[in-house]
Amino acid sequence: MSSWLDYTINGLIVGNVYALVAVGLALIFGVSRLINFAQGSIYLVGAYIGWVAVVQLHTPLPLTIIVVAAAAAAVGLIIERFGLRPLQNSVRIAPLLATIGISFVLDQLVMLTFSPNPRALPSQLPDVRFQLGGGTIGPLDLLIAGVGITSALLLFVFLRYSKLGWAVRAASQDRDAAMQMGVDVNRVNQAVFGIAAALGGVSGMLVGMYYNQIDTAMSLQATLKGVVAEVVGGAGNVPGAVIGSLLLGLVESYGVAVFGTSYRNLFAFLLLVVVLVLRPNGLFVSARQAPPEPLTGTFIAPSRPVRIPRWALAVAAAGFAVLPFFPVSFYVLQTLINAWLLGMLALSLTLVAGTIGQVSLGHAALLAIGAYTSALLSLTSAVPVGLAIIGGGLMSAALGTLLISPSFRLRGHYVSIATLAIGEIVSLVILNWESVTRGPIGISGIPPLSLFGYDLISPSSVYWFSLAVMLVLALLQGRLLTSHLGRSFRAIRDDDIAARAYGLSLNRYKSLAFIFGGFAAGVSGGIAAHLYSYINHETFNTQQSILALTVVILGGLGNVVGAIVGSVALVGLPEVFRIAAEYRILIYGIVLLLLVRFRPQGLLGTI
Amino acid sequence: MAERHNPMLSLRGLTRRFGGLTAVDAIDLDLAKGELISIIGPNGAGKTTLFNLVTGLDRPDAGTVSFEGQDITGLSPERLAAEGIARTFQLGRVFGNLSVMDNVLIGAHTRLRAVRPAVPVIGPLLELGLALLRPARVKDEEERLREEVKAILARFGERLLPRIDQPAYSLSYANRRRVEIARALALRPRLLLLDEPTAGMNPTETAEMQALVAELKAEGLTILLIEHKLEMVMRLSDRVIVMDEGKKIAEGPGEQVRTDPKVIEAYLGHGLSGVTEQESAA
Amino acid sequence: MSNIDRRTLVRGSLATMVAGAAFSRAALAQSSEPILLGVSGPLTGPNAQYGAQWKQGFDLALDEIHAAGGINGRKLAYQFEDSQSDPRQSVAIAQKFVSDPRIVLELGDFSSPASMAASPIYQRGGLVQFGFTNSHPDFTKGGDFMWSTSVSQADEQPLLASYAVRRLGLKKLAVLHLNTDWGRTSRDHFVKAAKEYGAEVAVTEGYIAEERDFRSTLVRVRDANPDGLILISYYSDGALIARQARQVGLKQTICAASSVYSPKFLELGGEAVEDVHLGTRYFPQDPRPEVKKFIAGFKAKYNGQEPDAFNAYSYDAVHMAAAVVKIGGTDRRAIRDAFAKVKDVSSVIFGQATFDVESRRVKGAMNAELVVRKGQFALWDGKPT
Repeated sequence: MSSWLDYTINGLIVGNVYALVAVGLALIFGVSRLINFAQGSIYLVGAYIGWVAVVQLHTPLPLTIIVVAAAAAAVGLIIERFGLRPLQNSVRIAPLLATIGISFVLDQLVMLTFSPNPRALPSQLPDVRFQLGGGTIGPLDLLIAGVGITSALLLFVFLRYSKLGWAVRAASQDRDAAMQMGVDVNRVNQAVFGIAAALGGVSGMLVGMYYNQIDTAMSLQATLKGVVAEVVGGAGNVPGAVIGSLLLGLVESYGVAVFGTSYRNLFAFLLLVVVLVLRPNGLFVSARQAPPEPLTGTFIAPSRPVRIPRWALAVAAAGFAVLPFFPVSFYVLQTLINAWLLGMLALSLTLVAGTIGQVSLGHAALLAIGAYTSALLSLTSAVPVGLAIIGGGLMSAALGTLLISPSFRLRGHYVSIATLAIGEIVSLVILNWESVTRGPIGISGIPPLSLFGYDLISPSSVYWFSLAVMLVLALLQGRLLTSHLGRSFRAIRDDDIAARAYGLSLNRYKSLAFIFGGFAAGVSGGIAAHLYSYINHETFNTQQSILALTVVILGGLGNVVGAIVGSVALVGLPEVFRIAAEYRILIYGIVLLLLVRFRPQGLLGTI
Repeated sequence: MAERHNPMLSLRGLTRRFGGLTAVDAIDLDLAKGELISIIGPNGAGKTTLFNLVTGLDRPDAGTVSFEGQDITGLSPERLAAEGIARTFQLGRVFGNLSVMDNVLIGAHTRLRAVRPAVPVIGPLLELGLALLRPARVKDEEERLREEVKAILARFGERLLPRIDQPAYSLSYANRRRVEIARALALRPRLLLLDEPTAGMNPTETAEMQALVAELKAEGLTILLIEHKLEMVMRLSDRVIVMDEGKKIAEGPGEQVRTDPKVIEAYLGHGLSGVTEQESAA
Repeated sequence: MSNIDRRTLVRGSLATMVAGAAFSRAALAQSSEPILLGVSGPLTGPNAQYGAQWKQGFDLALDEIHAAGGINGRKLAYQFEDSQSDPRQSVAIAQKFVSDPRIVLELGDFSSPASMAASPIYQRGGLVQFGFTNSHPDFTKGGDFMWSTSVSQADEQPLLASYAVRRLGLKKLAVLHLNTDWGRTSRDHFVKAAKEYGAEVAVTEGYIAEERDFRSTLVRVRDANPDGLILISYYSDGALIARQARQVGLKQTICAASSVYSPKFLELGGEAVEDVHLGTRYFPQDPRPEVKKFIAGFKAKYNGQEPDAFNAYSYDAVHMAAAVVKIGGTDRRAIRDAFAKVKDVSSVIFGQATFDVESRRVKGAMNAELVVRKGQFALWDGKPT
């Protein structure tokens, strides 16, 4: 019994840690309707500024907090002014991508400045412990809880009763109306970003002190948990974010209590999916409210796609097909094989994210399902590799569609969050379902690619195989887009309410899109499994999902040719940037930002 | 005129509340086959919410909707579209990135037969397969519908035909409204709900639209119309219903409603839009 | 980069991209050019810190090799390609190295998914993949071009179990392990050995690498009522667990795997890691000459910084590579054969390293039983804590 008290206390303690990030995210979402994926990076920056202040400048705690808050606020203002404000009138997906790009850049800058080694960030508070339940808590626990709750309360009061707060709320409800009523929306945004960033920076520092450890990997984790907590509490709802965080902490702690440590994040993400499905507006907002205004033409950029004549495409395809006959190195071929594999994933994602508008951030899960299915079929049931890969595609189509189906009723950002969570869940299930997936040990000795009994081992044969599969999938998808399904998918993307009013069932058509797309992604994963011969739960990770989304945006949403061009570019660019060694991801982030800024509809345009 | 005892659409006590506000308050309405009823009332009177309740985009808290004798309360919009109920939207909800042709083809979606076999469970998979394989039947059907779309667009003269392959976002406001109506017609509706079809149109465009609606009525289409422009309402409507704060405050032939003191008070009380401005324009 | 001008390399690799495998090997094998090792490892991404540590060890070993006259008069250099420990990038790097005739031997990658995905390419391309941190039991099964000096967990974990059970007298254990292929394999070997030595394993808990908060895990541990905690961790997570264990009032003996051996463990753990026991392959006051040379050289090169386990692995790896190249020359096949021939290569980890030709791994890792005393690693004096 006393253990349950301890689990509860621990859940609340870690919930307070999550709250520090979630409050900042909620504040920004409240005003800009934007999930700021760079919040974790500001948290990281805050932690390292704190380290400089404490370890090198020996500042006392109050001064440390002020320094960190001021510096982080400055970073927030810079992000708002140069990263996001130019995108104000752009499509809604642009700022979301921009925050992802900004987080790449910030994380890399911190890594290059401070080296990737973890550092100790000593606490500046006296080390006294109070007995509580079976454990103890220290002054930092109290300070973190204090900062989280106080900032939420202060923000709540500020939003309710101050003039600027009134402006913030007005801007969050209707930006255009607020502008007409004389609210300076830019000033409001600045204020919000400044406050959220100051809070984020101080949180990073406090959490760093709490664990006596800071490193560059803390950014993504902070963002993930913060987003989960925020959405659970009701996106944009500041006090809700605190409660959502505490709830998340409790669910994780009880999950550990009942099932063990390795199930912890599984519960976090399951909580998120359940909340999204049952109460898409968060726990504290009634689900049955007037439906929001349509996103018609706001999430996807209106554009005139670049039309590439068929003969040009045929020439390009033929050119790539004969490439292995020329003296190109295997390295170039392998790089292109990677591009073709990514291309299949991008085809899949451009269909579900671009054509039907379900921006998935967990698409790597489909790769994993295809890869594991194909690997296990060929290893344990001796299914020929060619058939096993098709089996992987079918399993990915079926299971992927089934898993994603609860989120079919969601829109916009919520789809991204739900798919992100589903992706994490798949990865955690692979980790924990040892009897089938062999858990963290992974699956080794996967037979190489083969077709009709002939092993495809030479780089050229693998190259031709993957190119052929990708081209077939691309042609099929092109055909799909010109059918009545193509226009139905795009109609649902542009305005799902009007689409329903004309008899288009969202479940039916979103399922069909995921079935088709899931197949392509599953085939890509299956081929990869046989190419690598070894896979485990880390082979197909969130970075893959984000990369695929970047490809799709780069090429132009829904654009089949664009997906392939984007894949070649984004596999090729980091290889070209190898000269830049440690700087290459930084360069990549900057390229992404410039792209979002100057060509949000992608290179070849949205279809 | 119409046979009142066997209406096509029948609303009984239809009610929808948002928080403390009752947007639609116990509305009764009977619409006979071939009849055109206009719903007027000040902004925020609940007209569009009523449309949402009839077309399944929103569910009533109380009351029933029946269509041709069937209770359709709370059915999904997809089902109702298949039943032959089509509508346009107040704010103009065309599919921005789709061409004019594709927009209108979406209207004909419920009439696709060859490519959407009515097979349970595996029907959707067959649909995917047929869309990719496209046997002759499917191609023919698509071709037929495309011809029909052109015929529908021809009703708008040269407004839309030359722009048939342009994306809808590039059209003028008035043209988008026309695309919406064309899309609704492509469904071959038994009941058509038009939500302010002339909003934002100049007098010439309004006159064109009015002529079109009159034509549709003459063809025997049953129409429920929300409209602010009173002159058009008076000319087209068999009956007019006036709503205010969710309630039906008057019902009857146009002239009778127009002079009803309750109606005048409702408009004057809210001090905006509707009657006075439109009349002076007319 | 090490002693070779980056621009030369860039030009070189561009040349190979264009000319590919057709390039004449003889043209490049001039004695003025350094002998080139390819390294595939993380310089960016979540494992970047380990790539940075590798470099320190590599560079120190190269300094020593060159001070001793290089390899038959030729210099040794490495070309480090960032893989982010991502299998997609490691396979491309593998093709790059395989088709670059200047590369005689490959080191890495860091993680098992990245290394083992590239293995088929190295195997078919006939280039040795020297996975010096790849403890995955299946790594060297990828083919006869896969060799590793990573201490097999089948060897290391019984030593740790012996320390915990036989020497420290712990009878009921709680095992916390990183839930990766390494942590999982280690746990299984540890549990097996500990049971053989007569201890009971009351609870095992696997956690993911990004985990920061262990308080609830530690409640589970407490409820299992063990008399010792076993950490199969890296230094950063090991330090976190030790701190939180002390914070929640767990006073049991903590015994950790050698991978926590790093000055960072002391820095990050602070007072909480005092009295933590750990088995290691070497220790600061180690009287072995190769260890003294390594530690002194490392401190001199890196401003007094103490080397850690990953520095030692990479340092050993380059020395091993040098020894192999000395025997095998620059022919890739001869180099593979040389791995079976090298004998008693001086090694921080093994003392004298000789490959077991069957498993293509080195057996007989050195073992030292350390304890943290007054914020320093010290040889355990046999006194209970």
